[in-house]
Amino acid sequence: MTDPAIEATALGKRFGRRGAWALRDCSFRLPAGRVCAVVGPNGAGKSTLLALAAGLLAATEGSVAVLGTDPASARPRVGFVDQDKPLYPQLTVAETLRMGADLNPGRWDADTAGRVVAGGDLDPGKRIRSLSGGQRTRVALALALGKRPELLLLDEPMADLDPLARHELMGVLMGQAAGHGTTIVMSSHVVAELEDSCDHLLLIGGGRIRLAGEIDDLLAAHARVSAPAETDLAPHEVVESRTTGRQLSALVRPAGPLPGDWRTAAPSLEELVLSHLRNPEAPALAPTPAHDTTEAAA
Amino acid sequence: MTTAPTAPAGPVTTTARPDRPARAPRQLRWLLRLHRPAVLAWTAFVLVAGAALLWLGGPLTDASAAAWKDYNACAFSERCSYDQDAIVRYKDVYTYTTSAVLVAPFLVAAWAGGSLTGRELESGTARLAWTQGVTPARWLAGRLALPAVLVAASTGLLVWLHRLAWTAGEGRIDTAKPWDDAATFYANGTVPVALALAGLCLGALEGLLLRRSLAALTTAAVVLGGLWATVHTALPHLWPTVTVVSSLRNGPSGAGIAVGEGVLTSGGDRLSAPCSSGMIPGCRTELADLGATGFYRDVHPVAHYWPLQLTASAVLLVVAALLALTAFRVLRLRTAGPAGKGGPA
Repeated sequence: MTDPAIEATALGKRFGRRGAWALRDCSFRLPAGRVCAVVGPNGAGKSTLLALAAGLLAATEGSVAVLGTDPASARPRVGFVDQDKPLYPQLTVAETLRMGADLNPGRWDADTAGRVVAGGDLDPGKRIRSLSGGQRTRVALALALGKRPELLLLDEPMADLDPLARHELMGVLMGQAAGHGTTIVMSSHVVAELEDSCDHLLLIGGGRIRLAGEIDDLLAAHARVSAPAETDLAPHEVVESRTTGRQLSALVRPAGPLPGDWRTAAPSLEELVLSHLRNPEAPALAPTPAHDTTEAAA
Repeated sequence: MTTAPTAPAGPVTTTARPDRPARAPRQLRWLLRLHRPAVLAWTAFVLVAGAALLWLGGPLTDASAAAWKDYNACAFSERCSYDQDAIVRYKDVYTYTTSAVLVAPFLVAAWAGGSLTGRELESGTARLAWTQGVTPARWLAGRLALPAVLVAASTGLLVWLHRLAWTAGEGRIDTAKPWDDAATFYANGTVPVALALAGLCLGALEGLLLRRSLAALTTAAVVLGGLWATVHTALPHLWPTVTVVSSLRNGPSGAGIAVGEGVLTSGGDRLSAPCSSGMIPGCRTELADLGATGFYRDVHPVAHYWPLQLTASAVLLVVAALLALTAFRVLRLRTAGPAGKGGPA
């Protein structure tokens, strides 16, 4: 468990020789055993990052190490659920699970896979093409969990699920993480969806890492402050500031103790994320692997 | 009959043998399962075409030969009774079956592009396979190897049956196609087999490159047509020709696939013929002015049939191998290969 689950170094991906960069200069380190939320607006590069980690795409520059090795070698130990939940439409649910068992000899956990599918009250003889979006998600998750991954990469896993199924499957995932020490990385553009279950955050905007680290550390590193207008916020790093009348409210990264006459409050995760997304020019807070601050939080 | 693979019954399997890639037979069993409709359709195609060829080479040839015998026995008598339907039926079935043999490589190319790789990349199921214990290279290898064996065996069977049927009618049916008739030439030999294998690799590559089922299907079939046209154009030059020299009186002669003809001069030069027979007075003068000593024609006689077929097939197999290699290379550049080798430089 000493190897980080994912360690990216100046990772970049560009589609086509002259295409725009989907992801650029991306460095972070995700310790094993975490449940990590990858958050960002649509088109931010979340899917690209997950596909790079799953070894489905080759990096244009930089590198990413997964479970202490390269993504291709780590693939047998990694579970991946694509955004579109691709499955073979002509197979039945039961056949799909049998295929998972056949393609992952020595690793397959039929019990877990069966339980995930059974939770959805799915007829095993039904063909994949006749399933609803949520039911497909369930089968795709069953396939990914059935191979007993050490790292589970989930791209927008909950998008198609009703609240009940979402709650239930989140429980299955958390049980997996707690019971087997599985590292789970899941992307979403809905922060509220992940806030309760995740302990690590990767915020991606415009193809770059904006925030990376333990959620508690990130929240502790920021403060919401209210001060009289025209107050100089230096030397504290300002993420976002707004003046209404004679009142200045801002989200800052304190560089030291804040003056006593400012009213301060802890930001919520959603505030933190939205402030960073609204202000792309705000400096990123992503501890580089060289001087990692997240290890201490373990 | 393969029995359906069953999931382990125990609650949890052990991880005593971790990280082992899926064994090939299991992977191939699922490949067959995924493409079951295509396998069934292809089997039906081969069975129907094969049965038609057996029918053609047996009863239809006999009936047509008998009809021709009756017809020729009539000589120049006013009334002649022979089974014209048998002759027409033989001709029709011969045309259909020959077309079927020649169309088979295109069916393979279209299926390989549309279904084998194109659809999987379009829908994302390829990614599912790659993250379910099948590495991209093994995924492609399985998708090329098993179909290659099946396609080679089935198209090989078809051309063999076509050759049997054609040989049965040789010399017995007056309107039977000669060996150097283009369609007959190809359908009787190994070129369709090599062309089908090239089509398989071409389709697989197009599917990987275009990542769209319909586009890959169309492109694979069109490019295969281009490849065949190229081979057809180059074919006469793949083997040294035989030069048949004939007198000025007789004009150029020599049966087979002609590559070039003209006149030979006393100096040993080869010139293009201004006209085709020394029997015509005007022509005789022209030939005399050129100093022609005889006509020549470069041909491939019937003895060159197999050298030409085998050389063309070998060329196509080399093309198929190059296409397959390119497909592996494309896949390797797209996905992350093992450490140190993956990714473009």
